[in-house]
Formats: sequence, structure tokens, C-alpha cells
Amino acid sequence: MQYLAGGGEDPLKGKLEILASAAKYDVACTSSGTDRHNDGTGTGNCFAAGICHSFSSDGRCISLLKILFTNECIYDCKYCINRASNDVPRAAFTPEEVVRLTLEFYRRNYIEGLFLSSGIIGNPSLTMELLCRTVWLLRNRYQFNGYVHVKAIPGADPELIRAAGFLADRMSVNLELPTAEGLRALAPGKHRKNILTPMRQIQTGIRENQSDLVVYRNAPRFVGGGQATQMIIGATPENDWQILQVTESLYQKFELKRVFYSAFVNVTGDRALPSLPGGPPLLREHRLYQADWLLRFYGFQASELLDESRPFFNVMLDPKEDWAVRHLEQFPVEIRRAPLERLLRVPGIGVKSARRIVAARRNADLTFQDLKKIGVVLKRALYFITCGGKMMYPVKLEEDYIVRNLTDVRERVRFGSDGMTYRQMSLFDDGRFTGAVSAAEQRQAAAGQF
Amino acid sequence: MTVYVCEDSLEGIFTGIYRAYEEKRDRADTMLSLEDEPMLFAEHVKVGPDRSRAAKVIRTLERRFGQEDYLSLCMALAADDPGKAQAVYKTVARGLERNSAPGHLFDDLADGDVHRAFSLARGASREFHHLQGFVRFQEVEDKVLYSAIGPKNNVLTFLMAHFADRLPRENFVLFDDKRKLFGIHPAGGSWYLLQGEEDLKPRPCPSEEEERYQEAFRGFCRAIAIRERYNPQLQRNLLPLRFREYMLEFQ
Ligand code: SF4
Repeated sequence: MQYLAGGGEDPLKGKLEILASAAKYDVACTSSGTDRHNDGTGTGNCFAAGICHSFSSDGRCISLLKILFTNECIYDCKYCINRASNDVPRAAFTPEEVVRLTLEFYRRNYIEGLFLSSGIIGNPSLTMELLCRTVWLLRNRYQFNGYVHVKAIPGADPELIRAAGFLADRMSVNLELPTAEGLRALAPGKHRKNILTPMRQIQTGIRENQSDLVVYRNAPRFVGGGQATQMIIGATPENDWQILQVTESLYQKFELKRVFYSAFVNVTGDRALPSLPGGPPLLREHRLYQADWLLRFYGFQASELLDESRPFFNVMLDPKEDWAVRHLEQFPVEIRRAPLERLLRVPGIGVKSARRIVAARRNADLTFQDLKKIGVVLKRALYFITCGGKMMYPVKLEEDYIVRNLTDVRERVRFGSDGMTYRQMSLFDDGRFTGAVSAAEQRQAAAGQF
Repeated sequence: MTVYVCEDSLEGIFTGIYRAYEEKRDRADTMLSLEDEPMLFAEHVKVGPDRSRAAKVIRTLERRFGQEDYLSLCMALAADDPGKAQAVYKTVARGLERNSAPGHLFDDLADGDVHRAFSLARGASREFHHLQGFVRFQEVEDKVLYSAIGPKNNVLTFLMAHFADRLPRENFVLFDDKRKLFGIHPAGGSWYLLQGEEDLKPRPCPSEEEERYQEAFRGFCRAIAIRERYNPQLQRNLLPLRFREYMLEFQ
């Protein structure tokens, strides 16, 4: 283990590079969920939609100063670059350093706020206390009013987690791996139960806070931007169906605001890990995000998208197209009359365009030309819709035919002989998920990451 | 046909709308234009901006269509498009005629003018949202924060309102390089606009500290990227090149 030498280069910059690099695999870093104006005395405000401040060379959004407090860690999780047995340069911030960086970056508009996580230094409670102290300083001594996302460290004193909840806009506990078995195999120091305990505590805290807010309008907010989590995809052998079920229960039973997926990157070379010669499983990650949106905004249930007999997503079709071609009996949908829920199930129609259709058809008999204006992606939707009883072209409502057409043009571009891989392919998938959420999320959705 | 020729500003165009209503001409036979290009068989009326008339129009729009749709109209008028005044005028007239409820002004997307105004508003607000994130301030003399931008649409006022709420205790200046327009915010005070010459521009002479933070942020942007996911094409789609000349991490 080597410590960073001072002198020469700016030591703060050196630390920042180590501790930003160590945090880069954490993906749950949007700045969304909170709306807050400034009362004129402090620094900062928040927008529910979130704001992207830059994009790194991997196409991921830079919104928050995403750092670890320290990359030292007493644990030895096999997938993690910061594991105790890994020989990497280590560093730790002081709370004051984090505060200074946050404020100076924020006033220059580099960032929307702070995302603070940490390796476990000493023990979970000590670590959580350091995180709390940092955010406390930021909020109370420097009146920082921008976005703050803090990790809840499993195993830390619940009082500390509660204190952090009153300072942060969002908190997250990393699920790490989709199942308890996966966790047991790769993270010897961690237990599923320890992870779910703070998650439940935060859920309960948010609920109580909501009823407090009904009674006392000025009650302090507890994790006002909601709770999130993330899991690593492809390090352990779970299939998509298992993962999607976990996701669904996190939304339903833990009322999470967001679940994030992180395509596994093998950074430690541990023998227990898959080697993934084709690079991180980005397509899988992307399909999971698409399915996640279908669960949250399109009224789908996990069991409609996958099941035991078909446990993996279709490589060629997105989950909605895949569902549609397997349920042709529900199509075509008549644009001028179908209820919103049915419109939402048409490939090529997003949440916004579905709403616009419902609004616009009150005043006009919509045509295919109008649908284009509204933002419907006709080349995908045309197999599934009619306008005034007519289809756009005479097409067969037949599975093989539609699949061939949906995949034809696109896939030739995507998997063509010019050596394009999924990496480039994810670019073309943007338009369809112009969902109800935020501009920032849409941009990130295009990246298949959040 | 009557063509009201107005100044290219919120005040100018809203005054034009006021006049068109005041004179109760047939709406189908009325146009709002920003250019004084003579049209055959048309009567041209020049309308100068008038604060109190514009204010009346604004009040009506807010009351009838709600804050959100009113802001969308303003966004459409910030667009860089010669037909915007006409599209907004027609959209407003249609909304008033049909008694659109607040939040429903842009429902009739099948209508050409409504769709036009809607698209312009969407384009301008997209750029505004981009710039909320992409503006980079640097500290010049006396802790003043300064940033230059080169937006396609005239979004400086929206940005000033945004940053004034965000950084009320800072002195900051935003300079629209395309329109030679300064937005000035004194700490603790209200912001204002100033049309000015290049020489008003503060000469950035970054202090050692300023350079440190710039370097630190560049380092951060490099450190945060995952090599195995390298995807410059995606980065370019999300952060169009035209913004980069003003962003320090790309210099
Ligand atoms: S607890 Fe595990 S995952 Fe977290 S920093 Fe330590 S080794 Fe990495």
C-alpha cells in the first residue's frame, strides 16, 4: 500500500483523482428528485429534473462531485478495486477538504452538488460519522443548499444514518449483488440482512417524515429526493428474470425511487470472477434499464416481460417490442380512441407522446403525419397502430414478419460488418424512452446508465 | 392583410399582439413579423415596444394559460427563428378563442402554428437546460465570477434568473458572445442586462487558486471515466461540440 506523497503536484488534486477514480463504478449519481429554491442567504438550489454538468469520455453524465471519503477499506469484496488486499494508492480527505472542493466547484458551476461514499475505515460507524460530519459542515456552517447524496454504510449506528438523512437529499445503500448467494460468494464481510436493515430504516424514515410534513409544513425533510440503490450485473450468475424480480420488489416493498445497474468491470482479476473478454455486459445493463422504465412508467409487471422459461432479455428487440410481438392479439391499437394505458404499450410511443396523443385527439382526427409531429417513432409503431381504422401501410400482423422488420434496418447498422458493437449501438436507442421523467435522466438513459 | 412589424424582444412582440387585438382585425388576415419585408397586398404597421401594453398581455397570458404555458411562450420567443412571432401570436389567439385551460395551450399539436411554437419552445428550453449545466464560471478580479456563452437561442435572461437563485451571494457576469449581451448580478442585489461592447469583457487573469480548481476539475473529469466503457461518440451526442469551446474541461 502506498500513500500519496505531498509536494510537487497539488496534493488536493492528487487526492481528488484517486478518490474520484475509486468512486467511478458507483452509478447511482443523478441529481434528481428535489426542488428547492434559495432564500437568498446560502449557496445553491435544486431541480427535481436534475442537471448534467458535463459528460465524461465514456458518455456518462457528470452531475455531482462523486468521490469516496477514503478508498481505504477493512473489507475485501472480491469485485472491488478498493478491497483491502488490493495494492493501490490510498488516500483520505478531511471533511474540510471535501467541503472546500464542493463549494468551489459548485460556485463555478462544475457540479450540481456532492455524492459522498466511502470505503470502510476503522468500522462502519466511524465511517458514517465522517460522512455525517462532512455534510453537516457543508449544510450548517456553509449554508450549502445544493444537492447532496450520501451513502448509508451498512452496519453503522442507526442514529448516524438518521442524522445523515436529515442532511441529505438522497441516500442509497448498495445492494451490491442481486442475490444473497452472490453476496456470500463475493463479499465475505457483508450480509444481505445488514444491507436491507438501513434500507428499511430509511424507508420508514421517509414515510414518517411525509406524515410529519402534512402536519408541520416546515418540518425538516428526511431524504427528500428519495432512496436509491445499485447492483452489479454480470459478476455473479443470476439471470435477468431474477434481477428483474429483485428490482420489482425493491420498488414495491422498499419504495425505492431508483434502482441502478452497473455492468460489471473486472478490475481485480480475482479468480472467483468472470473474465468477460467481450468487455462489460453493456447490452444487458441497457435492457435492464429499459425494463426498469417499463415497470416504473409504463404499467408493466416483471412477470409480463420475463419468466422462468424465458429468463433472459431478447438481444435484438427491446423489452417492449419483445412483449408486443408476443401479444399480437392486443394489437392494433386505435390511436383515436385507445385509452392511455394501451397507448403506453405500443412500441415507439413514449410516455410524453402518449399523453400528447390523448390531448391532441380531443380537437382533431389525428393522422400518421400528426403522430410524427407529436414525437411517435413511426417506423417502430406502424406495425401496432391504426388511425381511423387504417394502418399506415398494409402490413401483416404476424410475428416473424414484424420481428424481421423491426430488427432489419437497425440491426444491420448495429451489428454490421463495419465492426460496430453494442457500444455504438446504444446510441440509436435514445428516442424511444422519452419518458415522463427528467431531461437529465433521458440523456442518461441514452447512455444506458444513470 | 395587415402585418404588424415588431421588435425582436418579448416586449416588442407582446406589444404587437396587444395592437393586433386592440384593432380587432380579422385574425386570419393578420400577421406578426419581425422583418419589414414588404409583402404584396399587405398593409404594414410598425409597432414599437411598449412596456405597459406588454405587461397587460403578460398578465392575460399568465391568467388564462397558467405559468408553465406562459413560460413556454417566452421560450418560443427566445428561439432564433424569424417566424416565431407569428407562431406565438396564432397559438395565443387560438388558445383564447378556444378557451384553453391552464396547461393545455399546446394540446393541439396537429395544428401547424401550435406545433411550430411548441417546437421552438422545446428547442430553446433544451438549450437552456444544457447551459444550466454547461456554463463554466471562472473567478476574475475581486472574486467576480465570469462566464461567456454562445447560445443559438436568446436564453440569457433564463440563465440569469437561474443563477441568481442559485448564487445569490456572488457577483457574477454572464456574457452572450453571439449577441454581445451582458447579464450582471451584483451580490445580494437584482440582476440586469447590458448591451455592450467586447471591451466591457473582463480580462480573465486567473489567480493561482483559480487555476488550481480548473486543473482539479479537469483531473476529476478524467478520473471519473471508465476506460472499459470508452465511448466518445456517445459523449458527443450528449454534449454537442459547439458547447465545448466555452468549457474548461475540453481545453
Ligand atoms: S466494503 Fe467492499 S465494496 Fe465497499 S469499498 Fe470496501 S471492499 Fe469495496
